[in-house]
Amino acid sequence: MHLLRDALPAPRGGAALKSAAVCLGSPFRGDDAVGPEAAERLRAAGVPVLDCADEPTRLLDGWDGLDTLIVVDAVSTGALAGTLHRVDAGSGPLPRDLRLASTHALGVADALELGRTLGRAPRRVVVLGIEGKAFGMGDPMTPAVTQALDALVHAALAELAEEPCTSAR
Amino acid sequence: MTETTREIRTDYLARVEGEGAMLVRVRDGALEEVQFKIFEPPRFFEALLRGRMFTEAPDITARICGICPIAYQASSAQAMEQACGAELTEPIRLLRRLIYCGEWIESHVLHVAMLHAPDFLGYDGAIELARDRRDLVELALRLKKAGNSLMRLVGGREVHPINFRVGGFYRAPTAAELRALVPELEWARDAARELVRWTAGFDFPDYERDYAFVALRQPGEYAIECGRIVSSTGLDIAVDEYERHFAETHVEHSNALHSTLEGVGAYLVGPLARYALNYEHLSDLAKEAAEEGGLGPVVRNPFQSIVVRAVETLYAADEALRIIGSYERPDPPAVECVPRAGSGHGCTEAPRGICWHRYELDSEGAILDAKIVPPTSQNQKTIEEDLEGVVSDSLELPDERLAHVCEQAIRNYDPCISCATHFLHLEVERL
Repeated sequence: MHLLRDALPAPRGGAALKSAAVCLGSPFRGDDAVGPEAAERLRAAGVPVLDCADEPTRLLDGWDGLDTLIVVDAVSTGALAGTLHRVDAGSGPLPRDLRLASTHALGVADALELGRTLGRAPRRVVVLGIEGKAFGMGDPMTPAVTQALDALVHAALAELAEEPCTSAR
Repeated sequence: MTETTREIRTDYLARVEGEGAMLVRVRDGALEEVQFKIFEPPRFFEALLRGRMFTEAPDITARICGICPIAYQASSAQAMEQACGAELTEPIRLLRRLIYCGEWIESHVLHVAMLHAPDFLGYDGAIELARDRRDLVELALRLKKAGNSLMRLVGGREVHPINFRVGGFYRAPTAAELRALVPELEWARDAARELVRWTAGFDFPDYERDYAFVALRQPGEYAIECGRIVSSTGLDIAVDEYERHFAETHVEHSNALHSTLEGVGAYLVGPLARYALNYEHLSDLAKEAAEEGGLGPVVRNPFQSIVVRAVETLYAADEALRIIGSYERPDPPAVECVPRAGSGHGCTEAPRGICWHRYELDSEGAILDAKIVPPTSQNQKTIEEDLEGVVSDSLELPDERLAHVCEQAIRNYDPCISCATHFLHLEVERL
């Protein structure tokens, strides 16, 4: 029941997060559901997933001080559906050919750039994407994309495991 | 002479409150056509709501928009309360108004500082603005956070609040919890005044129209969470009379419906309309700031809506402080709502303008039918008319510059799609 999912606010207090994920996409638009699907799996694996509900500047506080941020989204570069993309955003801007879809002018890539300009960005940003094919309202996910989800989640967990002080495992 | 057609076109957008596209066609140096169209995901929600219980409407409709969930929650809850014949106690109504103030602050500041201001200052976006004016972007982010804090405390969380229910709230915050927000809200009130000063100093295109303004009006208050629907053309109706005076008509070029006011045509909802129709109910501080910013009691230049949004941000902070100052904790936090067969109507002032809802319920409270008219669709025809005017005045501009002015004109309305137009591929065609 999607309405019950995430029904409780994020816990307050406790140790500061060292790593987190941001997962983008709409569950109603075919392969764009990569983000929401990955969010569910990453949460189940104990990875904190930040939510911004269409407004990525809300993430600026959430990721301030993080060592590692994993950004997950469906991507469209012309590659074969299901292809896993990995981009280490390092300290430079996100590449334009991996243009993350966004609901607003300030997409997550922009919010990251804004965070860097203001000195409020994660130390390390890794973008993991799955090449999608069908993005229409009500489209089912392409089988190859669904199959690639496991690999994406493993890749995300491996990225976080690389981080010596992660609290996500 | 060879016939020349300039065509400026935007592609469709994904995942926004309204999916939009824009087409401007200029033939032989004269404006031939402007089309601005929106597909409305809320329409899908109308079907989704059928068969659900009346108590679920606020949680379901909140998902229509991540920026203004309170507008949908408040309008749907108000409709359900009317359907049940329930009336909110004054403390509960004020708590609704309070959380709505948080949403206004957050939504307005996002638009004013991050999305619209760069248009006036020649920046591509907020990032470039932040490089030069870090102080202003930091101020805006902190202001947004103040609005967020209100939504989080009253709503349980700022993203799709969970404490909102038909009849009121699940839990009312304590006076002490609210008082803790006062220092930041006092800061926000001052910061919003800075925002007014800053935006008032922009250069505005010399463009005015005699709009038909439509907004809510409530005795003694700048209407937000309830009121009658009034217009600058003399309309004054109860919320449940809306469909007798407003029509939604299909136009050939758009799957979205165009809203019109009977006997008037296109109308405008949102900050300019609220400001013109309810100016006398602004707080003294908000009026002072507006005056200092050079605004009269009616603003007809749509580009100055950015200043009016800043004034409304100041008002929202001021009003939140007033409500907290005289806070009486609602006990119980919600009134009982027993369903009965019939219909209910709700209308509140979303940051972008009135958000109107109607629901039909069966005797058990299951939703039989739902109709949601979001502000962006109501402004659609007026946006087209603005574009016609703006383009006609700017035909001498090169395509790129003309496209920019069109985008800026669309952003005057803060439609969710306005934000996304930065992502649009603008195509200019000469035949």
